[in-house]
Amino acid sequence: MNQSKENSLKNFLILPSVLVLLCFLFVFFYGVYLSFTDLKLGKPTVNFSGFKNYIYLWKNPLFWKSTKLTIYFTLVSVVTQAFIGVLLAKLFSTKVFCAKIFRPIILLPLVLPPMSVALMWTTMMNPERGVLNYFLSLIGIEPFMWISQYSTAMLSVIFIDVWTYTPFFTLIIYAGLLGVNQEIKEAAQEAGAGAWITFWKIELPFMMPYVLIAAVFRIIESFNQFDIFIGTTGGGPAKATTVYSIYGYIQSFQNLNFGRGTAILFVNWWLVLIGALITIKLYQMARKRVS
Amino acid sequence: MKKIKIFFSAILFSIISTFALADFDWKKYSGETIVFAYDIHPYVDALVEKLPEFEALTGIKVDAQIFPDDVYWNKLNLEITTDSGAWDVAGTGVQPTWDTSVGNHNVDLSKFLNDPSMTSPDYNYNDIYPSLRSAMTWDVKGEEVVGNGKGVWGLPHSFENMNLMYRNDILGKHNIKPPKTLPELTATCKKLKQVEPGITPMALRGVNFWSSVHTAPASIAKSYGVVDYVMKDGKISDTGLDSKASIKFHKDYVAMVQECAAKSWPNDNWYQVVDALTSGNAAMAVDANMFGFWNNIKDPDGKNPSGKISFAPPPTAPGAKNFESNIWIWCITMPSASKKKGPAWYFMQWATSQKMVLDGAMMGKMVNPIRKSTWESDDWKKYANQPEFNNYYDTFIEVQDRAALFFTPRYGFGEAMNAWSVAMQEMVNGRPVEETLKELAGSIRAGI
Repeated sequence: MNQSKENSLKNFLILPSVLVLLCFLFVFFYGVYLSFTDLKLGKPTVNFSGFKNYIYLWKNPLFWKSTKLTIYFTLVSVVTQAFIGVLLAKLFSTKVFCAKIFRPIILLPLVLPPMSVALMWTTMMNPERGVLNYFLSLIGIEPFMWISQYSTAMLSVIFIDVWTYTPFFTLIIYAGLLGVNQEIKEAAQEAGAGAWITFWKIELPFMMPYVLIAAVFRIIESFNQFDIFIGTTGGGPAKATTVYSIYGYIQSFQNLNFGRGTAILFVNWWLVLIGALITIKLYQMARKRVS
Repeated sequence: MKKIKIFFSAILFSIISTFALADFDWKKYSGETIVFAYDIHPYVDALVEKLPEFEALTGIKVDAQIFPDDVYWNKLNLEITTDSGAWDVAGTGVQPTWDTSVGNHNVDLSKFLNDPSMTSPDYNYNDIYPSLRSAMTWDVKGEEVVGNGKGVWGLPHSFENMNLMYRNDILGKHNIKPPKTLPELTATCKKLKQVEPGITPMALRGVNFWSSVHTAPASIAKSYGVVDYVMKDGKISDTGLDSKASIKFHKDYVAMVQECAAKSWPNDNWYQVVDALTSGNAAMAVDANMFGFWNNIKDPDGKNPSGKISFAPPPTAPGAKNFESNIWIWCITMPSASKKKGPAWYFMQWATSQKMVLDGAMMGKMVNPIRKSTWESDDWKKYANQPEFNNYYDTFIEVQDRAALFFTPRYGFGEAMNAWSVAMQEMVNGRPVEETLKELAGSIRAGI
């Protein structure tokens, strides 16, 4: 009887999360269904169109360009954030003076709303009147076009993304670094291992699971990154930064082609799934190695 | 007998009309609240400032929700086409309404205009310029927009024709005359860069959205003989954006942008154009003429370059007989999902009434006024011809003779014109003009 009551209570307590999950699944599958229709905002009729939207995307050069841009943005952003995150985490674990100053400040980019970040950087990156080019001019460097030129726009957005989200990596990796067994490090140092070998052979392998778990979150968010793109380049100039999220948004809400927009975002969902699964697999391998 | 019947009917009608005139009930919807949405713009600033008057007249409260341009248009599409009912009155334009009126997402206002119990007898709809009224009038047949119809999908609120605006202090300093053709404009920019290297010759919109093609490009393109669509038997049969005239225009226009525009051009919207012209960071702009008007207004802080902005017709194709100007008509529309149609209509007729249009113009905000009576009023003529506005009034009259809507009514305006703005960015970035226009035209043709 008690067991039965306990089970009932457990079921009741998880009911809200089940409801949320069901709502999510309903919305998700409804979106998938819409990707197989010719839904256009404003038009009164909606017809099932099969794979028409997907065939259109398959044949459309902009879709393939957007695919490359999305993957490029995600890989470069996440790897750069991971690399700098490891360095900063290592710095924080030392007794160097600037580590004390940086540790509380590092969170600041993360607490700012992404759209505010985008607008702030757009102003700073103005090629003629922005403060960044002013600072570059002080050290004799020619003005940089930042988000205003085809060849530099994506790198500039990556720069903004790295600035904003590296703290996320740093905090998670730093927590992992604090968990490294100090006895192993001391034993290695007593055996004559230098600082670099200690870091490379002992600390880094222990950090890898944390790097990879942070990478899972960042890969998911980077594939879905929207705020920074819409607030800076809007997908331009000349489609230079038209990643899937922007492509889907423009198709759905500017061009009113909602069916096609959801098809793009469903493809994006697959990229997210594949990217996350690969990273989780790597995480499991890293975990096994460490344990 | 028949004559007697007619006589008594006329008497009865006069009596009823007299009562109607005397008894228009502005307080009919007193106590109601409506939501009014608009873009951040001086047009809406004028209305918001006068809202206490409306509320005192009608007893209707107005919740004004104002959004930045970059997000407003997408929000407008979403709110109206999903029939959310969140907005009762919304600012819009002719072209976006083509996309939303299909599917009956906007209310046909002719039923209110023709109902004397709902429209004040002194409203005088016919006082609004015919070209502005007809721009907002079409029929919806199935899923198509058919021009020259009877449905009224919005009330014009204020409008723009396109001028070449220039800083007379900068050009005057170097004895540079305002250019008349597009190639002359490019040459003027080259000269300005030599004599004033610290400024940008032209402030131009460049964002990848239709708002950057409907001002300078559409106006100048028309003088080259460019059309957005080719008509056959009253129906759209093709696009004209890859024609020989279009190729010629785009080659000249791209050369001008590359020579004249700010380096931030792909990210510049109208806020940046206004800011550049006002601050003197740019010497010229081809855009909505009221930008120059607003910034000529004497302000107490002296921040406006009052008297320093002059006006000229838009540049043309070389050898063109006439200049041309697109028009952009800000309108207010009523979403079909509004549950407060009565109070919403009261607000709309007040916002576009003879009094409000004149008041808004005299505030220097609702410019250019939509009503003939405003342009004929001595108060407005005196105000608009003050020395600080230079030749704004005369240039408006000159340009308005040639001003007409460049675009062809069609569902899908947004998709096609957004694609044109992106193609413009690609061409300015160096992609060959013919190849880009061919691809653009192909994508538009697929949707016809």
